[in-house]
Amino acid sequence: MSDAAIAESKKKTKNSKAKQSIPKTFAERVSDVVYVILRIAVIGNVCVIFFPNLNPARLSGLINKNLSLFSCGISYNSIVANFGRTFRMGWAQESTFHSLHYCAMLIILMVIVAAAGGCMSLGNNKLKRFGLIATVVAGAGELVSMAWLKSLYTIICNDAIAADKVDKVSPQYPATVNYIYMALAIVLVVCSLAEFFLVKAPEKDARCSMEPKFQLFLMMLPIIALAFVFSYLPLYGWRYAFFDYKSGETLSMDNFVGFKWFTSLLQNSATKRDIVNVLKNTFAMSGLGILTSWIPMAFAVFLSEIKNTHFRRVVQTITTIPNFISWVLVYAIALAIFSTDGFINTMINSVSSQSVATNYLMSDSHMWLKMLAWGLWKGVGWSAIIYIASISGIDQGLYEAATVDGAGRFAKMWYITIPELIPTYCVLLLMSIANILSNGMDQYLVFENAINSEKVQVLDLYVYTLGINSGLIPLSTVIGMLKSIISVALLFAANGISKLIRGESIV
Amino acid sequence: MAENTNTVDVKKIKETGSTLHSKPTVGDVVFNILNYAFFIIFTLSCIFPFYYIFINTISDSDLVAKGAITLIPHQLTISNYVAMGKVGDLWTSALVTVLRTVIGTVLMVMASSLAGYLVTKKEMWHRQFWYRFLVITMYFNAGLIPWYLNMSMLGLTDTFAAYIIPAIVSPYNIILVKTYIESIPAEIEESAFIDGASYWTIYRKIIWPLCKPILATIAIFGAVGHWNSFQDSLILNANSPSLYTLQHRLYIYLNQSSNLGAMMSSGTSASDSAALSSTFNTKIIQYTISMVTIIPILCVYPFMQRYFEKGLMLGAVKG
Repeated sequence: MSDAAIAESKKKTKNSKAKQSIPKTFAERVSDVVYVILRIAVIGNVCVIFFPNLNPARLSGLINKNLSLFSCGISYNSIVANFGRTFRMGWAQESTFHSLHYCAMLIILMVIVAAAGGCMSLGNNKLKRFGLIATVVAGAGELVSMAWLKSLYTIICNDAIAADKVDKVSPQYPATVNYIYMALAIVLVVCSLAEFFLVKAPEKDARCSMEPKFQLFLMMLPIIALAFVFSYLPLYGWRYAFFDYKSGETLSMDNFVGFKWFTSLLQNSATKRDIVNVLKNTFAMSGLGILTSWIPMAFAVFLSEIKNTHFRRVVQTITTIPNFISWVLVYAIALAIFSTDGFINTMINSVSSQSVATNYLMSDSHMWLKMLAWGLWKGVGWSAIIYIASISGIDQGLYEAATVDGAGRFAKMWYITIPELIPTYCVLLLMSIANILSNGMDQYLVFENAINSEKVQVLDLYVYTLGINSGLIPLSTVIGMLKSIISVALLFAANGISKLIRGESIV
Repeated sequence: MAENTNTVDVKKIKETGSTLHSKPTVGDVVFNILNYAFFIIFTLSCIFPFYYIFINTISDSDLVAKGAITLIPHQLTISNYVAMGKVGDLWTSALVTVLRTVIGTVLMVMASSLAGYLVTKKEMWHRQFWYRFLVITMYFNAGLIPWYLNMSMLGLTDTFAAYIIPAIVSPYNIILVKTYIESIPAEIEESAFIDGASYWTIYRKIIWPLCKPILATIAIFGAVGHWNSFQDSLILNANSPSLYTLQHRLYIYLNQSSNLGAMMSSGTSASDSAALSSTFNTKIIQYTISMVTIIPILCVYPFMQRYFEKGLMLGAVKG
């Protein structure tokens, strides 16, 4: 049977299946549409509580701008962080803000109830009914909370006016945000009530159940949500690249600057000089890493030439240890050996009469090679394991045949072992080419000091210094953004090459 | 029988092979010597620094300060460690690090095993999409600053939770578990399913026990990662010293002493005896904290080596 014929027959079975199933009634179709709206409202409701811009509980200018409703709900201290003076002077009542905290908590609770209701809507009619009760309750609860917030706002206003310190307390009512919450709550209530009429009443002895596909999906949902929050949501931070933002300020259209920071990379001569230097370091270190990437393979080949199993085992165990200690500890070791009062100096002093105190870490000569050496010291034993395992997997028959043919030791290494390892090597090489811009920052951060700073600033470290230490958030976001995009492009390119040459993808 | 003859053949061939080269050539001998020499030197370079730091921490502090301890310890004492115990912030750091290692690893292993099991279930709603959704995050990230801004937007700066929650979902470990579960015969699970067990029961009663080897592997990798982690403490919790991890604390002590070292090498305060004595104190502090930080890994490592290697190999064949 040809492919086309198979496709044809598949289509037929599909069609016949569709015909067999009972066509949906009008009520069921409406119900489906309303459920889509309801679920979107639930998801929206869950999302809005995490955005500081959409915080209805920010009833005073003193409340931190970067506080989301969620943070307000879980921590009272975060709400009143800036209120010390205000409370002492009696410009606002602490009880009001306790209420505000409870109100935020109530909204969070309602959102959780709504989320549970949304999940239940994936079940059978009985479960759907329970879910609808949950969403109605949640919607109603949120409407009550909004009214509560309004009354709290009035109290704060009155207190401030009574103390004549309106400018200090600066009460404010985030009306737009409240409308968003109210709209979501109303959608929840209306849709759920409508569904009560649209969903068929379950039979009396029916039990709550759910289709396996949705059961599995709901079990997976927390993991998906975490992945979304910590891996996809940061992309939302890319917007800082287009604003003139300083720590603590808010983003608004007033400080929107478009591509200013992108062009400043090329136009501002100081930045440009920095970037060129940083790129030079990055490419030098990655380049050296790639040039020496055959070393673990050679390490494995030579180690396998040693016939004493115990010795081999000991070497393998000890040389992999450095891979499992952090770069901070590597630096501690570097200090212990190479610093002014480290091992090397002590040794020299004890054998010669003159006293020396060279601090080998406080120099900027051969920084690239030194970094490479530390990288190799830390990683070579570990990287070799994969090759050692490949070597033990090579068919011994090949070696025996070669021996019979009179091949010597080196000939066997060169013509059998190495060719067998090349495929693994190629994959790792392509991966390291794809990672050419990411050297990581730990190593360079710990080894950096005032003297060698110029030579060890790699891209990752530069972004850190610029963004966290100097507070130049937009510029460092731009650099990080370009880096991420180029890295992904490189990865795709490496993958494409791999597919072309080996017919296998590496990712 | 067939196998037996085979091994005999192999032995014969090996014997003939070795008789062909019964007399090692000069090149062979030289190569062997050089090879052994290289590996001995490299292995020593990997182990000696630890030994050097260790003998300094167990020797008398005055001798250490004079730099008299190079190859063998003198006047053994544990006073350095006892003195370390009196530094209060070290205990908090140790506690924070231990807690994050234990809690973080347990949660990560549970999430990875559950996710790894779920993504093998073909009947899941849009399974392929969600699996890719998780895997893509391995190859793409928004960058350090957006990550930091995101964490502060979520209110996770200056909290202990910042160490735990973001590390729960680890796509790489999910792939490892998934690959492992796919190698388990499907019949075991199917029979339980026919008996009416729910997915949750199957996961808890069948998948979890069967997956123990791979879970041990990812647990060890996760624990080492947590123990060594220092960026999150440095960036997210910079303003809460009570939440610094051991590595971060060590980094601070190292930097203090290297700043002193810089001052001394530039000659500004070489004669300042106060500065000198404080350097020597920091030297001992530094060595001792380093040892405290290394010892758990050195103790655990030899016993766990096979798990580490297994993890690496599984990672290499992931698909």
